[in-house]
Amino acid sequence: MAEAITNRTTPSACPHCGAKSEDVHVCSACGKILPLAADGDYFSFFGLPRKLRLDESALETTFYALSRQLHPDYFMNASEAERQASVERASRLNDAHRTLRDRTARAGYLLGLAGYKEAEKKAPPDLLEEVFELNMQIEELKAAKQMSDEDEVQEARAALEEALDGLKDKLKDIDARLFASFADWDALVDRGAEEREGQPVLDRMSELLSHRSYIRNLVRDIKEEL
Amino acid sequence: MPRIELSMSGRPKSRRGVGIDQGTTNSHVAYMKESGPQVIRDEQGNALVPSIVYYDTAEQRLLVGEEAGERLITEPRKAIYSVKRFMGKGSADVQEDIRLVPFQIAAGSEHVIRFQMGDRQFTPPEISAFVLRELKERASQFFGEEVTQAVITVPAYFNDAQRQATKDAGHLAGLDVLRIVNEPTAASLAYGIDRREEALIAVYDLGGGTFDISLLRLREGIFEVLATNGDTHLGGDDIDNRLIALVLDEIKTQKGRDLSRDHKAFQAIRKAVIAVKHDLSESESATVAINLAESGVAYQREISRDEFERLIADLIEQTLGPCKQALKDADLDAAQVDEVVMVGGSTRIPLVRRRVEQLFKRQPHTELNPDEVVALGAAIQADILAGGRRDLLLLDVTPLSLGIETMGGVVAKIINRNSTIPASASEMFTTWVDKQTGIDVHVLQGEREMADDCRSLARFTLKGIPPQPAGLPRIEVKFLIDANGILTVSARDVRSGQQQSIEVKPSYGLSDEQIEKMLMDSMEFAEEDLRKRQLVEARTEADTVLRASERALAERGELVSAEERERIRQAIAELQTAIGGEDHRLIRARIKQLDEVAHHLAELIMDSAVLGALKDRKASEVAEG
Repeated sequence: MAEAITNRTTPSACPHCGAKSEDVHVCSACGKILPLAADGDYFSFFGLPRKLRLDESALETTFYALSRQLHPDYFMNASEAERQASVERASRLNDAHRTLRDRTARAGYLLGLAGYKEAEKKAPPDLLEEVFELNMQIEELKAAKQMSDEDEVQEARAALEEALDGLKDKLKDIDARLFASFADWDALVDRGAEEREGQPVLDRMSELLSHRSYIRNLVRDIKEEL
Repeated sequence: MPRIELSMSGRPKSRRGVGIDQGTTNSHVAYMKESGPQVIRDEQGNALVPSIVYYDTAEQRLLVGEEAGERLITEPRKAIYSVKRFMGKGSADVQEDIRLVPFQIAAGSEHVIRFQMGDRQFTPPEISAFVLRELKERASQFFGEEVTQAVITVPAYFNDAQRQATKDAGHLAGLDVLRIVNEPTAASLAYGIDRREEALIAVYDLGGGTFDISLLRLREGIFEVLATNGDTHLGGDDIDNRLIALVLDEIKTQKGRDLSRDHKAFQAIRKAVIAVKHDLSESESATVAINLAESGVAYQREISRDEFERLIADLIEQTLGPCKQALKDADLDAAQVDEVVMVGGSTRIPLVRRRVEQLFKRQPHTELNPDEVVALGAAIQADILAGGRRDLLLLDVTPLSLGIETMGGVVAKIINRNSTIPASASEMFTTWVDKQTGIDVHVLQGEREMADDCRSLARFTLKGIPPQPAGLPRIEVKFLIDANGILTVSARDVRSGQQQSIEVKPSYGLSDEQIEKMLMDSMEFAEEDLRKRQLVEARTEADTVLRASERALAERGELVSAEERERIRQAIAELQTAIGGEDHRLIRARIKQLDEVAHHLAELIMDSAVLGALKDRKASEVAEG
């Protein structure tokens, strides 16, 4: 998963005309689509710094503009090499867009670039007791359903719905803390200090993400049972 | 003016691309005219080709379309319809369908269905190819050129195997399949082609055999699919089956006759209830009248629209779940949708329109013919791909999540549903035991957690890994879903950087070798068609050349000597004689002969046009010629 963290966008020579292209996607000299380098990341593909707060409507605008440049529809009559480059660039564009437009996916991707493993679903410590209780309640609801005991079902359902509201609040809280740490990270990037001082912020984000995905799973399980 | 440049090899190859909608019930072909997309009709003015293929086992002869449809009742076991429901499937998938149709599938159909027709077997892509060839021929005749490039549409919810089978069918029909496009997306193109303001559009597509819902955002000429959902096994056929069941049931109770195994009776009933279904879209009630002389059963009953709606209500309800799921996936409320577009013949049913209107709280669009709109959109896409226009762009999605089987039969998703295509994912694989040289990978499609509940796409083996301690090799596998929604897999040894050999076994469908063999087999049917076609074409061309030559002689004959005029007249007479015969080669030879002797005159006419010796009107004719 860990890719080189250096943001390499230095263009190599265009294979079509040999010129050094100023644009990363399409050769600025001959106008032909460039093959996709293996070492680029999603941020550099969009010409963005590795910051987490980004202008989402600008991202959409760039996505449309790049789609018009790179989509395979426009390379049907081009050479095999250009067609191949178009499919690779267009798929990278779509993969990058899908990841960057979503705040949590974006943070997870940055962590991956920094060598973090995909966040394991982990219960926040202050929630352990509650989680235990919740699992009991889910079991109770299941049992009540099996027995067709309407009163019990109603009671268990009400308890779970209340717990669900609590979990949603918890998610909101986690999101708020996550986005606050985005600002911390971006400030480091602005100072050029992310390599030296970034670790604590990344650790914090990694933990928040694993709590988040744990709670979301729990919410999904409860919703399924309700 | 004379256009005396001719080729001997029949029709010139066309660079034009057409759009083909191969429906469960009917198929259409369309092209892009300057004024907009247009469905291509036959000489009688029919836009559709029924998706029916009849194989005469005794004469080894094929009929396609209308003619094949006529055999449904007289020889039901030899006519195949609704083939789309069998594409990309194995026998275990179609147990229910096969009970309801008169034709049979052969043993050994686990990975590809094989229809048994007398002593021959045909797979769904072959049957589909016969229909596609008919459409290709219609377009070629229309243009007077051999049309080979086509965009073919499929239901948005088709999986990888169903898409691949469709592409195979195109290949078997001699088509260069430019792109597989989703039907609702194509329809949105036809509706939104002239639209410039931003809008959210829902396309509700209920056809003969499949249902799709797609949500799109239109902005600056980009048609971006946000989410799609559907059911590839829900459509007009299911509605027909409800009515057939009702009739069979009543005949059984009223007349004491069980006709469910009587194929001719079944087809007669099917035909009658389809007519009634159509009537009920216009009238409040209709009469089913069936007179089965052979079985000695006469049955008649009135059915009201109310009763019909009660009979099919749950089928229509089944379309609403996917609609709601698509809205949820796109993170939209029904109320945010600006326009709802209706596609597919089944959307003529008033109950369908009512339910869709209730869900989206707005009146759906029905301006364009719901049977033709998909082909029209496909024609627009063919035009885009041919480089005709760059102002429009479709950004479609993959309808189903792609995953790989991991420990314990659990599926790890690597590309989620509704991801914009092309889309890719890379996964790293390693070995479990020392000196292991191969790794097995199982690829699936679907939303469920367990491999058993998902659709198996393919198994492949990463081979030729150098023997190393367990866990040391690092093989990166790249999964790419292309713009057709079809998966390709490639692998790379990360340490050596070399391409890794990979052997993919599709779980359903045909291998390349099988396709090549089928291509050879299909030639026998092509030959007779070809002979007939060549004769028709040679005669048509001869007519054109004759008319042009005669006119050139009459109007500008004085440009050449009397002797030369006589030689041209002689050649004209010989061509006229040849047209009366059956030999297309002789006609071609006589055309060539006329071409040669008249060439000088044509050149002189051209020259005098260039020199301005002709009047403006004639000059422009020459330039066009």
